[in-house]
Amino acid sequence: MFTRFEEYAATQMLGYPDSPPRKEGRLFFNEEWQRTVFGMALALAKQGHFEWEDFRQNLICSIAAWEQEAGDGNTRWDYYERYTMALIAILEQCGILKPGELEQQMTPDRANR
Amino acid sequence: MAPLFEYDKNREAANAAKVRALEALLIKKGVLGSDSVDAVLNHFETIAGPFNGARIVARAWVNPAYKQRLLDDTPKAIAELQFPGMTGAEGEHMKAVANSEVVHNLIICTLCSCYPWPVLGLPPYWYKDPVFRSRGVREPHAVLREFGVPIPAEKEVKVWDSSAQIRWFVIPERPANSEHLDEAQLAALVTPEAMMGVALVPSPPAA
Repeated sequence: MFTRFEEYAATQMLGYPDSPPRKEGRLFFNEEWQRTVFGMALALAKQGHFEWEDFRQNLICSIAAWEQEAGDGNTRWDYYERYTMALIAILEQCGILKPGELEQQMTPDRANR
Repeated sequence: MAPLFEYDKNREAANAAKVRALEALLIKKGVLGSDSVDAVLNHFETIAGPFNGARIVARAWVNPAYKQRLLDDTPKAIAELQFPGMTGAEGEHMKAVANSEVVHNLIICTLCSCYPWPVLGLPPYWYKDPVFRSRGVREPHAVLREFGVPIPAEKEVKVWDSSAQIRWFVIPERPANSEHLDEAQLAALVTPEAMMGVALVPSPPAA
């Protein structure tokens, strides 16, 4: 019934543990990077690089891992941090990213030494 | 023990740097276009959202003939406003109901897929809660009171269950002391909650 991928993708999450923060009918981002990472996963799935449901399973696992870790009180909740981890995980699963490639991108000097 | 939910600047900066690096890497690989993120978010930010519903409601408030057309044939009346990007299919099956002095309307929804996205945007967390839904049907006056909307016992509350066949939304009552406002200013007063019937539109500050 959805004519747009964007609506399908967001609706699949609603009412589940991976539903995104929102306020007055709109997606809610505190920071620009949150908007960017949300849009990246959506755009990549829309282009067919991976299935949206497969990304969601990674996100749900990433959230579940936080719930396990949070018992120590040292890991603060951050939805879009979990979202970023899930996106990196699925990009590695589908071979778009090689393990460690992002770290190299972030510290090129160290990687070249 | 560090408090949960506290804002941590270093961690925030690290997350931001990681996402920026990931975006740059994906663009370099040719996997992601430089405008792909804006293109998908544009849908939520400018095409389908509560800003559309607010414009529809404001038009209905200032134009009684439009309001009547909206109640008679909602998709056709919405099409009159020519929202950018709304091709028509997204708005089909929509039906508007109007609050008045004698009736208040409340919209509930079992499946969020039946939510009228193009006019209300993303549904709130509690909307899919089975308790809200069942109590909304059984004791709408009590539920509305808990939302801060006291409806007199003698005023009828009609409850509409959105489905794949019909997606409902409410035209709330125009607030008092809003005669001096133009259509855009009126639209700014309308919230998604008011268009679900779980809030009223408050009167604007005196001019």
